[in-house]
Amino acid sequence: MAYNGGAVVAMTGKNCVAIACDKRLGVQAMTVSMEFKKTFQIAPKLFIGLPGLATDVQTLAEKFRFKANMYKLKEERELEPRTFAHLVSSTLYERRFSPWYVEPVIAGLDKENRPFIASADLIGCLDFAEDFSVSGTTSNQLFGMCESLWEPDLEPEELFETISQALMNAVDRDCLSGWGAEVIVITPDKVITRTLKSRQD
Amino acid sequence: MTSRLPQTKGGFNFDNYVRNAALEGRGLAVPKATKTGTTIVGLIYKDGIVLGADTRATSGPIVADKNCEKIHYLAPNMYCCGAGTAADTEMTTSLISSQLELHRLSTGRQARVDTAMTLLKQMLFKHQGHIGAALVLGGVDIKGPHLYTIAPHGSTDKLPYVTMGSGSLAAMSVFESRYKPGLSREEGIELVKDAIEAGIFNDLGSGSNVDVTVITSERVETLRNYARPNERGIKEASYKYPPGTTKVLKTSIRDLMDISETVKVATTEAMDIS
Amino acid sequence: MDTLVGITGKDFVITAFDSKAVASITLMKTGEDKSRELNSHALMLFSGEPGDGVHFSEYIERNIKLYGIRHGIELSPKAVASFARRELADSLRSRKPYAVNLLIAGYDVKTDKPSLYWIDHLASSVDVPFAAHGYGGYYCLSVLDRYHRQDITEEEGIKLMQKCIQEIRSRMIMSMPDFIAKIVNKDGIRLVQL
Repeated sequence: MAYNGGAVVAMTGKNCVAIACDKRLGVQAMTVSMEFKKTFQIAPKLFIGLPGLATDVQTLAEKFRFKANMYKLKEERELEPRTFAHLVSSTLYERRFSPWYVEPVIAGLDKENRPFIASADLIGCLDFAEDFSVSGTTSNQLFGMCESLWEPDLEPEELFETISQALMNAVDRDCLSGWGAEVIVITPDKVITRTLKSRQD
Repeated sequence: MTSRLPQTKGGFNFDNYVRNAALEGRGLAVPKATKTGTTIVGLIYKDGIVLGADTRATSGPIVADKNCEKIHYLAPNMYCCGAGTAADTEMTTSLISSQLELHRLSTGRQARVDTAMTLLKQMLFKHQGHIGAALVLGGVDIKGPHLYTIAPHGSTDKLPYVTMGSGSLAAMSVFESRYKPGLSREEGIELVKDAIEAGIFNDLGSGSNVDVTVITSERVETLRNYARPNERGIKEASYKYPPGTTKVLKTSIRDLMDISETVKVATTEAMDIS
Repeated sequence: MDTLVGITGKDFVITAFDSKAVASITLMKTGEDKSRELNSHALMLFSGEPGDGVHFSEYIERNIKLYGIRHGIELSPKAVASFARRELADSLRSRKPYAVNLLIAGYDVKTDKPSLYWIDHLASSVDVPFAAHGYGGYYCLSVLDRYHRQDITEEEGIKLMQKCIQEIRSRMIMSMPDFIAKIVNKDGIRLVQL
């Protein structure tokens, strides 16, 4: 976890969800890239954030893309967030005794456009949250920020400001994360991706 | 290329083991798994079983989930509380639940609590304690109410009142002083609630709310958040940022459209068959 | 420990590596080529466990070349990097994994864009404007942060690479006698004199 650094947070709003990540990739203290995104699209209204060991982030992103595509081909329907959460959980628990070093966060809208967020630990224990899910080397700081900033029924624009400020202020207290951020807000008819202007230290 | 497709062999996969051992050997900090440093209890009352659990999940000293569910469904007449490594309790109970469902379908009978207990202990013993699940299993079958504890190594106990998890000592002290055979439903639930609350307030690994499940030969009552002794105060101020606070470098919007198709049946004149 | 450096510019990638072959504390020779041409427009630089680098890069080279022969079309640099990463990631889960750090410099003839991939021994792969492996990275990344622009020409690229090597030579306690530099652009791969 602390080898490459990284932070991911997801929040629910009123008929919308948001997921945000930082963009740093480092090797311990040396920053290698500031364009390393940790969120991946699974379905039109479903994203997964994968903070952790970069090699596993990439391997699992490929694996989940494969599994989600196979699901769509076999079932001829979109993957629901809750179904995908359980797919993630089983994939991780299969390696209970030699885990992937990632702590995924899942955010999406289901077919009734209800917000869904969840997070898992490295061996696939799901944690369904009503409010927010945090993960990565910045999780402690994010818990604090979200606990004070989040409130129910935020509109998409309010949710964007809240999640952005929660993430940026949290990574200011983490040496291993930051250097740019990306926020994705999912609403019933739009997916808005924004790249934030952030501190570069 | 077929070798690249995910294998569906079943069972655990140890492919990352050598690599992870090498990484740990070089001092890489391993992320902590979520634990349920828990208080879970169960007791037999006049008409059946009362199970209870707190709702805190922890990751080291951090509270990972403030209101998780630790009383898992096993079968229509059986429920199981889990303590220990959260993923293990979750996966073990759901695996056994599937096996019990198949057992029920193939025998055409209600599964016995004893059967569930045996499946669970064999699973845990087989893995020699590496699956860190400590369970309280309760249910009512043809032979009446049964209550078991199952430890991570696979040993079991059958008792009239049991506690498990890090808050088990606090909870047991309540049971030891107040349990008696033949409790009424209300007395049973109240005692379970008090035992869990003893864990919530005296054990750091337990917290938040009390979940209760009552099982009788007729029905099951799931009393989710039966007691909420730690209600959060109302936020006095709002911390909404005015729009435009966050500076954005780049925005891309993807419009999602609902494509609906309407098929109009073309009305044609009837064929001339004269 | 070997040093690898790569810099992208407007229409090229310049790479350099120190040409020392070392066994324990002894310098065995200079002039060692720590790169392999994967196809006409993709170059792989490697460092790490002696032997592993040569073995792994030649294995990748042969597969990439085979792909070109079989399909009559060359893989793009992105595809090359993706393939190499996956091979390394799979080897990582074997009993004896390759311990290699890679830089893949390529020029995509379809999109007319240069690209540089940084891949470490754990098989993390990223597309970067400039990158380095080894201790030399600690010195030249700051130089590159200060002087690198996306639109530099080849001459400027060579100058920038010289700056980096100058920094490494003047600050690192190990002697770094000679570097070999190669440029990848639309015409292919060529050696350059620094």
